[in-house]
Amino acid sequence: MIPVEHFYYISAVLFSVGLAVVLTRKNAIMVLIGIELMLNASNLNFLASNTSEDPEGQFFALFVIVVAAAEAAVGLAIILKVYKYFKTIDLDKIAEIKD
Amino acid sequence: MFIVIFILIIPLFSFVINALLSSGKATFGSYCSVALLLLSTLGAIHVLFFIETKVLTSQVDWFSVGDQSFKVGLLVDFQGAVMLAVVSLISLLVHLYSIVYMAQDSGYGRYFATLSLFTFAMNGIVLSNNLLMIFLFWELVGLSSYLLIGHWYTKTSASEAAKKAFIVNRIGDAGFIVALCIVWCQFGSFNLIDIQSQMEASQIQNGYWSSELNALPKVWLSILGIGFFLAAVGKSAQFPLQVWLPDAMEGPTPVSALIHAATMVAAGVFLMSRVFVLLDGLTLSIIAFIGALTAFMGGVAALAQFDIKKVLAYSTISQLGYMLMGIGVGAYEAALFHLFTHAFFKAALFLAAGSVIHSMHEIAHKNHLELDAQDMRLMGGLKSKLPVTFYAYLVGSFALMGLPLFSGFLSKDALLIASVNWSYQIGNVAYLIPSLAFVTVLLTSFYMVRQLLLVFFGRPRIEISDLREFGWHFKLPLIVLSVFSLGLIWSLNPFDYSHSWFLAALPGKLNVTPEFDVVIPDLTNHALVGVISVILVALGTGLAWLKFRPGRELMLSKTGQFTLLENLSLNNWYLDVIYEKTVLRIVRVSTSALAVLETRVIDRAVNLLGWVGVVFSFLLRWFDQTIVDGLIKFSAFFSSQVGGMTKSFQYGKVQSFIIFALVSLLLLIFLIL
Repeated sequence: MIPVEHFYYISAVLFSVGLAVVLTRKNAIMVLIGIELMLNASNLNFLASNTSEDPEGQFFALFVIVVAAAEAAVGLAIILKVYKYFKTIDLDKIAEIKD
Repeated sequence: MFIVIFILIIPLFSFVINALLSSGKATFGSYCSVALLLLSTLGAIHVLFFIETKVLTSQVDWFSVGDQSFKVGLLVDFQGAVMLAVVSLISLLVHLYSIVYMAQDSGYGRYFATLSLFTFAMNGIVLSNNLLMIFLFWELVGLSSYLLIGHWYTKTSASEAAKKAFIVNRIGDAGFIVALCIVWCQFGSFNLIDIQSQMEASQIQNGYWSSELNALPKVWLSILGIGFFLAAVGKSAQFPLQVWLPDAMEGPTPVSALIHAATMVAAGVFLMSRVFVLLDGLTLSIIAFIGALTAFMGGVAALAQFDIKKVLAYSTISQLGYMLMGIGVGAYEAALFHLFTHAFFKAALFLAAGSVIHSMHEIAHKNHLELDAQDMRLMGGLKSKLPVTFYAYLVGSFALMGLPLFSGFLSKDALLIASVNWSYQIGNVAYLIPSLAFVTVLLTSFYMVRQLLLVFFGRPRIEISDLREFGWHFKLPLIVLSVFSLGLIWSLNPFDYSHSWFLAALPGKLNVTPEFDVVIPDLTNHALVGVISVILVALGTGLAWLKFRPGRELMLSKTGQFTLLENLSLNNWYLDVIYEKTVLRIVRVSTSALAVLETRVIDRAVNLLGWVGVVFSFLLRWFDQTIVDGLIKFSAFFSSQVGGMTKSFQYGKVQSFIIFALVSLLLLIFLIL
């Protein structure tokens, strides 16, 4: 039996990687992927804390997967529009407020 | 009352017309003036006939200061009505005369405008019912006199003379203002009728002069009278301020006739008769003395003049002296009588002199001669060439000398008798005054006969064969004025002034000054005085005949040596020189001292103040630029820095938002845990 702490460690590492991706990558799609990573880290966390007496973790994980799917759809649509408008999806270049 | 306002306003209307018309229409304007003045003269004569002993007065509020209200109003009594008629009539004649006299003048419209303005102002003095208004009109006649003396202002002598007249009159006006202050302080009113009744009610006790309103030391009553007298001294050219009148002859001759002989200079005498109730014994004595002295000095100064107008000017001074002497001895009605008779005969003389001068100009112009058209040494033999002028001059001279049958005899007789009776009552030094007056009778006949002989008799001294007298514009005024110089016009019995309609209509005793009774001139010495004055006239005439009879060519060379007396006379007692040496020198020294003070002290102080100001403002500028501006710049810099810092939050860098959010979240968690 794998001790439950390992799931937490993996989850934390996965969240950190996701966060790092969100913060460092300039490509909007990569940022979206980072967000997906963070969502999956939280899923892992929910499932790890899930017990047979208390199955709330599973429900939340299902919600998160649904939300993630919706988020991916909306996010990709936004990115598509942003690309059409700015001709780039580099996050540093799509600022409208100048100095 | 309406007709009186009408008479007052008409000359003003004429002034406006002449002032507004372009120079091309000036002739039309002058005829307009004549027509308007004819209306006003007819009105004045109408007023004179219905006034009798009535006193018309009417006033309205003018302005108020605090609870004191000042009024404008008119007062017409008999003496005012006569004066009004005299002023209007002479002004009308002078306007008429000037149409030809000034015809070639470039300032024609200006001349008529000012002449009408003068007539308006003079009517104002005559008709005002309060002293403040009299003062205003008094200044206005002074102004128009100034403008008319300086009519030919491009001539230095004319503009100098105008300034002199104006400045000398200012000295008199200072006295007027002082007197006005005292009147206001004592009576709280300027209304002539009020003043008279309040003066009657006032008393002199224990050295104090007390009215209903106020009590002042008695000396202020004398100062009041002397103040008014000083005003008259200035305006009526009395000693020691008579120096402006001879110089005023620089103005056009009709102006001299109207202003400097007939009306304005008589305004002083008229004023004295208006304020006669305010004059006390001391003041009257001073007036009598100064008047007699001026009469004598003017007479002497007229003896040796060569300028035809100067002779008349000095004679005017002398006659004005007579009038003020009459006021001084208490015979104010005789003084007014002489004022009116003098106005006519002196205006006649001046206009006749103007005719002579105009003719001399014509001769000079025709023959291309350079000559002084007013110099009597160049005239002579004009009798046959200018007959109307000659007879007018003759009548005027006889009236001035005081020959029986002429108007001057009546009024001068009245004045002489009044002075003689007055001196009988006072005694001692007072005999000096009638003596001076009698000597002046002698002098008057001497200089007038001298002038007649020099101008009209003898051989012509220059070529005058083609000389012709001017038209009716000249002749009509001369004839009218000569007629008014006859005794019959003024009194049915030409040897006795007491039968005069004028004196009969005037109220008799006017003096109400407490503790002082005026001497009423009676007829005690009538015959004696009359005979003496006629003998003196004859004596003067004889002397003049001896010295200047036709054929003798005495004193006629311009370079001739003059005797001491002649020099004294020619230079008007050296008064101008004396003033130059004393008053003017003091003024000049004090002004140059003041100028030094100005440049050395005041200017320096001002400069220092300016310098201090500049230094101070430099300091202020530094303070402003470094401290105040620095503060503002710093706050601007600070806020721009803060803005720069905060702006990055919203700069659009999505990832940095997330970092901030993350860091803040972590901080929050740390804080909470």
